[in-house]
Amino acid sequence: MAALLRGVRAGRALRGLSSVVAAPTATTPQCSSLSRGFHRAAPRLQDDFKSDKPPPSSSSTTFHEHYQAHSAEQDNTATASHEGAAAEQASRPNTSYQDQSGEQGEEYETEEQLQARILTAALEFVPLHGWSMEAIASGAETLGLSSASTGMFNNGAGDLVLHFITQCNSQLTEILAEQHKQVQLGQAESKATADFLRDAVETRLRMYIPYIESWPQAMSILLLPHNIPDSLKHLSTLVDDIWYYAGDRSTDMNWYTKRAALTGIYNTTELVMLQDSSPDFEDTWNFLDNRIQDVVNMASTAKQVQSTGEAVVQGLMGAAFTLKNLTGLNQRR
Amino acid sequence: MSASMRLLVRRAIRLSDTNIQISAAARAAARAAARSSSCRCFSDAAEDRSTHFGFETVPETEKAKRVYKVFENVAQRYDIMNDAMSLGIHRVWKDMLLHAMHPQPGVRLLDVAGGTGDISFRFLEYVRSQQERQRRRAARSMQTPSWQDISNNYSTEDEDGPLESRAVVCDINKEMLKVGKQKADSMGISTGLSWVVGDAEELPFDDDQFDIYTIAFGIRNVTHIDQALREALRVLKPGGRFMCLEFSKVTNPVLARLYDAYSFQMIPVLGEVIAGDWKSYQYLVESIRKFPDQEEFTGMIEDAGFYCVQYRNLTGGVVALHSGFKL
Repeated sequence: MAALLRGVRAGRALRGLSSVVAAPTATTPQCSSLSRGFHRAAPRLQDDFKSDKPPPSSSSTTFHEHYQAHSAEQDNTATASHEGAAAEQASRPNTSYQDQSGEQGEEYETEEQLQARILTAALEFVPLHGWSMEAIASGAETLGLSSASTGMFNNGAGDLVLHFITQCNSQLTEILAEQHKQVQLGQAESKATADFLRDAVETRLRMYIPYIESWPQAMSILLLPHNIPDSLKHLSTLVDDIWYYAGDRSTDMNWYTKRAALTGIYNTTELVMLQDSSPDFEDTWNFLDNRIQDVVNMASTAKQVQSTGEAVVQGLMGAAFTLKNLTGLNQRR
Repeated sequence: MSASMRLLVRRAIRLSDTNIQISAAARAAARAAARSSSCRCFSDAAEDRSTHFGFETVPETEKAKRVYKVFENVAQRYDIMNDAMSLGIHRVWKDMLLHAMHPQPGVRLLDVAGGTGDISFRFLEYVRSQQERQRRRAARSMQTPSWQDISNNYSTEDEDGPLESRAVVCDINKEMLKVGKQKADSMGISTGLSWVVGDAEELPFDDDQFDIYTIAFGIRNVTHIDQALREALRVLKPGGRFMCLEFSKVTNPVLARLYDAYSFQMIPVLGEVIAGDWKSYQYLVESIRKFPDQEEFTGMIEDAGFYCVQYRNLTGGVVALHSGFKL
């Protein structure tokens, strides 16, 4: 059976080779049609990955190693495809058991990872096409996939926006973790809570700057009913992460009030940023400063109110007691 | 070469005037045709294997011929019968296929077992209306175009070439293609459409040619479904999509009983009255029952090498829309 399959594959390879000769526009090495993994994705992705922006999420950093190790194999298959009978010979290591297990570890990626890669590639087309299926189609095409692969994304533009949000959140978490490590190692000093919050929110909102033109469209997509659960989840994890790295370990009502306060600050600042036209969004950062100051003031005001309230209550109790004395109600007969 | 052999076999059968007894010469020719035909995997024992033709059991080699005859007989009245049997709902099913497909401008479609071309016509219309909408949106956003923009527009109007979507209708049956071509002519669609005779188990196309492969209500007539699926994988580009619209198992038991009654009592009668052919429609109805159910077919598609395979039940499971990607 395996021999038959190999025969079939050889037949296909030979036919494929003839089509390569006839149609030199085919970019994938024909040998890749023999193995069933994402083998053919490798040569394309080599170039794409090198020119990619700093890898945003941890899954794509693991890719980097995989494809580095894969370059040797790629050369192997590329040269193999140009020889006729030798194609089978050179490819046989691909089908042998020993190499297949190693190959599987390196080159197979899950469907989710491929989808993440397509969406990341699609982000650079967002300024042109907006947050839409056309952007995803263009992204798929840069990876060498047909635009029909956009059918994988049932939520369409929502998938793209949510992927971007997830990417930004994980970038922020990395930055905050790095800062935290620096503080722990004693290479930097820890910031006051207000400053920390301000810096974290500013860093996070700056990630929107390249897409600020189309961001209103993205926000409206996030507000669609079927996207609301996901967008709320991402927002709450974002706020929770920021507070965690700010050092909050509260376990009482403060946990809720702090997160609610920061959510309000974040959302309002985002809205201000949308219509801000000052250079480098200065107005937005000033607004952010003021809101954080408000919250800090609110906290101290709350304490003051509480102590004042207590004092007032005590005063009133004293006055009532004096009155009772004066009117003689307090005397015991 | 194999096509000409098959043609010889068919003529031999027609001359012998029976569809049950095959003469020795025809059988020898059939055996030779089987060897050179698409049944590569089962080279020697092909004529001994049998498969289902509706509720009958027939040798594998014979099934293709009998299916050919069925569709040859019904070709002229195919569309009318579709409307009558499904009460027009088949149009909705095909529209839903197009909506799920959501083709981007510039994709190439291969419509296998496309016969009278329903899917291809809808595809061309969809893409053209999308392009219209895009053009209108672009025009609207440029309310006061500068001279530069206007001159650019004039030059890009002829540039429909790179964004031209093309559909290829492939069918094993020439009669069905003939009817389809007549329809295209009457609808005035000429550009972007090709008609090719071909067997789903052995497509006459090179590898990596098409973005989307559809087969609507055709795959249950194919003798070796896994072969057809492998061919689909072959001709699709990386990232290409396989979509299959096919009758499937009804999930609701009440609906299932009604559906069975309707299928076996009404449809052959309609076939006799409208198209004058009871047997063909009896075959059609029986072949639906013989087709694997949604989950099994999903497994077959995955085995052929497709990823992200999903299905959607339409009309309560009467029709299932399967979709897979070549990644």
